[in-house]
Amino acid sequence: MHYIEVKDLSFYYDEEPVLENICFTVDPGEFVMLTGENGAAKSTLLRNILGLLTPSKGTATISPVNERNEKLAIGYIPQQVASFNAGFPSTVLELVRSGRYQRNKWFKKLDAEDKEHVERALKSVGMWEMRNKKIGELSGGQKQRISLARIFATDPDLFVLDEPTTGMDLDSRREFYELLKHNSKVHGKGILMVTHDHEDIKQYADRHIQLVRKEDSPWRCFSMDSCKEPSKLHS
Amino acid sequence: MEMFFYGFMQRAFQASFLIAVIAPILGLFLILRRQSLMADTLSHISLAGIALGLLLNVNPTLMTLVVVVIAAVSIDYIRMLYKSYSEISIAILMSAGMAIALVLMSLNEGGTNTSIQQYLFGSIVTINLAQVQLLFFLFLLVVGLFLVFRKPMYVLTFDEDTAYTAGLPVKLMSIVFNVITGVTIAVIMPIVGALLVSAIIILPAAIAMRLSKSFNLVILIGIIVGSVGMFTGLTASYQFGTPPGATITLVFIVIFIITTIVKKLVNQSKYKKNQRT
Ligand SMILES: Nc1ncnc2c1ncn2[C@@H]1O[C@H](COP(=O)(O)OP(=O)(O)OP(=O)(O)O)[C@@H](O)[C@H]1O
Ligand SMILES: [Mg+2]
Repeated sequence: MHYIEVKDLSFYYDEEPVLENICFTVDPGEFVMLTGENGAAKSTLLRNILGLLTPSKGTATISPVNERNEKLAIGYIPQQVASFNAGFPSTVLELVRSGRYQRNKWFKKLDAEDKEHVERALKSVGMWEMRNKKIGELSGGQKQRISLARIFATDPDLFVLDEPTTGMDLDSRREFYELLKHNSKVHGKGILMVTHDHEDIKQYADRHIQLVRKEDSPWRCFSMDSCKEPSKLHS
Repeated sequence: MEMFFYGFMQRAFQASFLIAVIAPILGLFLILRRQSLMADTLSHISLAGIALGLLLNVNPTLMTLVVVVIAAVSIDYIRMLYKSYSEISIAILMSAGMAIALVLMSLNEGGTNTSIQQYLFGSIVTINLAQVQLLFFLFLLVVGLFLVFRKPMYVLTFDEDTAYTAGLPVKLMSIVFNVITGVTIAVIMPIVGALLVSAIIILPAAIAMRLSKSFNLVILIGIIVGSVGMFTGLTASYQFGTPPGATITLVFIVIFIITTIVKKLVNQSKYKKNQRT
């Protein structure tokens, strides 16, 4: 089963193609990293996969269920998530708890298990002591960390992360990658992460997809260096 | 105290309380969704609805409800077109609303100017029982929806893309929220006046946001600020014979200034204390 399946996807902003012939999959228990220069349409690709944009050609699908046949939970960190409105009146704890809502808690009170997830998530990014601070008063790296805590609290089946470690120091980045690897290997989570520090992350990820500029195209259009290979490898 | 013996003042205070609870709930979401000008827009548009109703001899309240709901739905569509500048949609519709209202009014020469005046500046003391009942219904609706949909609204307000991937019907929620805001404004507008509707909706929430760091507490503080402001403003307007909508707005602005100063002083004294220790 594939958590993410992208088949011959192309995407055009207005008339200009920015992505062409993309195909790959992300399976349960797999940690895939996606790289490419600025403007290589990495964020655009993630948004196509999540349904926030519609592919111009081909398809991008996310499995509706997880391996246990329950509804698949997705944890998405957008690229600009940490630039939230500084005046947003919310404490760190409120924000991280909101990660639990999508686990069937939209209309129910959080129970002891939810609270344990929240506490563990905050501790895993070293932000438990800061839990009663207003989110607008955190530093850039700290904001990024509570966004991570928020999706660890969700404990999703599929992580879709757009440069989640921007602004974080080296040690906390390594800890975070370690935690992701643990999640994929031990808990069978699927992970697709856009990143720029690929030297650093090589030892953690299972697979590396790079978006490269198409040379025969008049546009600034990107594609995969080896379209057929990765999906063949796994089917 | 004699003012409480008049039926119209009793109704005015009832209406104020209902408005004081509804306003900060809508106001907070409007501010955080960067739509604080939407209240203004919708009030201008509902003025156009009133003018149209008067021109066509249709019940203006009914007419304005229809017009405002249509506008509230289209606002979301235009907001999508200018995603990162949602203010633009607001500006376009605001000027359209005002222009249409003015043109319709001029077409309808004679007789009705006084009633348009009344809608511009509001008349909380001429409020009738039907209006209070309508407000009460709205109060139940807004408070009920807020209590049920608090969590989805929190996530939607925090980040729409995150809300979408968490499985929320983002578009539907947006539209329903706009429609409720529109209906509220159409109902409140004749009471406090088109020019000041948005102040009464936005200011209590804006004040509360500075006073609390927790989301739920902001709403509570907003309701307290709203009630204090509405009651003080209404009493003052009765005592001094000033227009109610404007008086209430002034009271909110005074509260805003006082809380800003007090907060500064508190922060400074905290800072000094920390330095000494
Ligand atoms: N809303 C938009 N409308 C039109 N073009 C866009 C839009 N968003 C992005 N683009 C263009 O699409 C291309 C890819 O953008 P995208 O944000 O996906 O790149 P990226 O790989 O995520 O870059 P970065 O590493 O800087 O985050 C860029 O050339 C950009 O100019
Ligand atoms: Mg990007």
